[in-house]
Amino acid sequence: MAGPIGTPFGAPRVPLLHHSEPIDPTLWEWLSAKIDHVLGISPGVAVMVLGAFIVLFPIIVMIVAARRRRGMK
Amino acid sequence: MRSDKSLRKGLFYGWYVIAALFFMTLLAIGSRQGFGVFVETWEKDWGVSTATVSIAASVGWLVNGLSQPLFGRLTDLYGGRKVVIPSLLVMGVATIGIASISNIYGLIALYGFVISFASGGVSPATTGVIVARWFERRRGMAMAVLVAGGSVGGLIVVPFMSYALIEFGWRTAWLIVGIAALGLGVPLLLFVVRSRPSDMGLAIDGEESQDSGEAEVVVRPVGPSYVDKWRDSFSSKPIWQLSFAYWVCGITTASIAVHFVRWAVSEDISIGTAALAFGLLSGINAVGVLAIGILSDRWQRKNLLGAVYLVRAIAFISLIVLPGSSAIWVFAVVGGMSWLATVPLTASLTADVYGVRNLGTLFGFANMAHQLGGAAAVILFGWAFTVWGSYDIPFAVGAATLLAAGIVSLSIREKAHSVRYVQVPVGGTAGSELIKQGGD
Repeated sequence: MAGPIGTPFGAPRVPLLHHSEPIDPTLWEWLSAKIDHVLGISPGVAVMVLGAFIVLFPIIVMIVAARRRRGMK
Repeated sequence: MRSDKSLRKGLFYGWYVIAALFFMTLLAIGSRQGFGVFVETWEKDWGVSTATVSIAASVGWLVNGLSQPLFGRLTDLYGGRKVVIPSLLVMGVATIGIASISNIYGLIALYGFVISFASGGVSPATTGVIVARWFERRRGMAMAVLVAGGSVGGLIVVPFMSYALIEFGWRTAWLIVGIAALGLGVPLLLFVVRSRPSDMGLAIDGEESQDSGEAEVVVRPVGPSYVDKWRDSFSSKPIWQLSFAYWVCGITTASIAVHFVRWAVSEDISIGTAALAFGLLSGINAVGVLAIGILSDRWQRKNLLGAVYLVRAIAFISLIVLPGSSAIWVFAVVGGMSWLATVPLTASLTADVYGVRNLGTLFGFANMAHQLGGAAAVILFGWAFTVWGSYDIPFAVGAATLLAAGIVSLSIREKAHSVRYVQVPVGGTAGSELIKQGGD
């Protein structure tokens, strides 16, 4: 059976995310173009900024958790 | 068991556990959501259709749903730490493996089966158990923070994968995310996460405990409906009420998720407007789930759960009765408030009623119902649109099921079943169960 926009079940054309459904590629293309337009940053810079968050967040959590555990001893 | 005042001066260690699980959820859900970014690239690289690539996503949806009771059971038996760490490890290795595949069959195998199966091990069915074992008084808030990790994953990891695709190509994008899971996520979980507070000599909520002299055993009060064996829960009403409502949650979120664009197109709404509405909904649902989390620790959770379903029913009705150009914004605002809020409420209520001993198994079944209901609804909504050329009837059915879910949720007798309102006294008839609950 044909689903929306020619896909069997519609997935992965998914604009509204609930748990872990894939994002809609068409909407994402539009959104990323708008983000590029508003922020005016290159993909390389965006990768650096977002990547820094992904790398720093767990490191910071590990550091503060280690300090807390030392404080509990 | 540590109970000195110095322990209470700092932030309760359970919040560090939440922070680690938040990052894992962000990474796991974000990378699964990122799948959609690569569809067109794969179509061009492999010469396949969108429908063919969709098979991997559809298989993944079902496999993920079916895996959750299994991982939930394993969490109940062996503790969350022993489930989430290997699961993220497998996800990380398989994510790296995607970087090396050369055809659609590899994608179906790795994404549809391996990653989707393993992601059941980092789902609320397992992480919710860890949270429930660390928190009782602020369980709703803690669950909400964890669930919000999925929203943030969509805002951080999806753009990251998209830009990495542009900058380095799709293989490198998946390679980076896989390395992040293995190099950052797994060490973080290993270092920070413990299955229960007693593993660190702490008590639930960071409260002072009554020192029983047996450091390995935590005596917790339970509610009148607490079950020692998970099968026993199915002879009581709340599990059916919660599962039915969560099944409806799956039906209504999955159907909208998949058919929203088609509906927007049928209403002559541009992709740009739909995207803006999506952005608004994403922002509102992250705020909404945290607000619900805070409120759920103060009010009866079943009332909030019922209200969430009724609010979503209003959002569905708006899609039928309002002109498309207005309905899309009403839906984004009203529906956004309810979109994620069912997860922490359902998990917390299940834990409150049946205890945390079998929470993984019970919430795993609820999640399975959610996913299977969603998969069936997606097909039926598509069939209905093909037959009637309109979404009015399926949306009306969705609204009716939401009204039913709201009424059923409101009818849960929380004050008669929940440990928040009725506690079996220590030393009572369920005394032995109390000891097992903390010590298992």
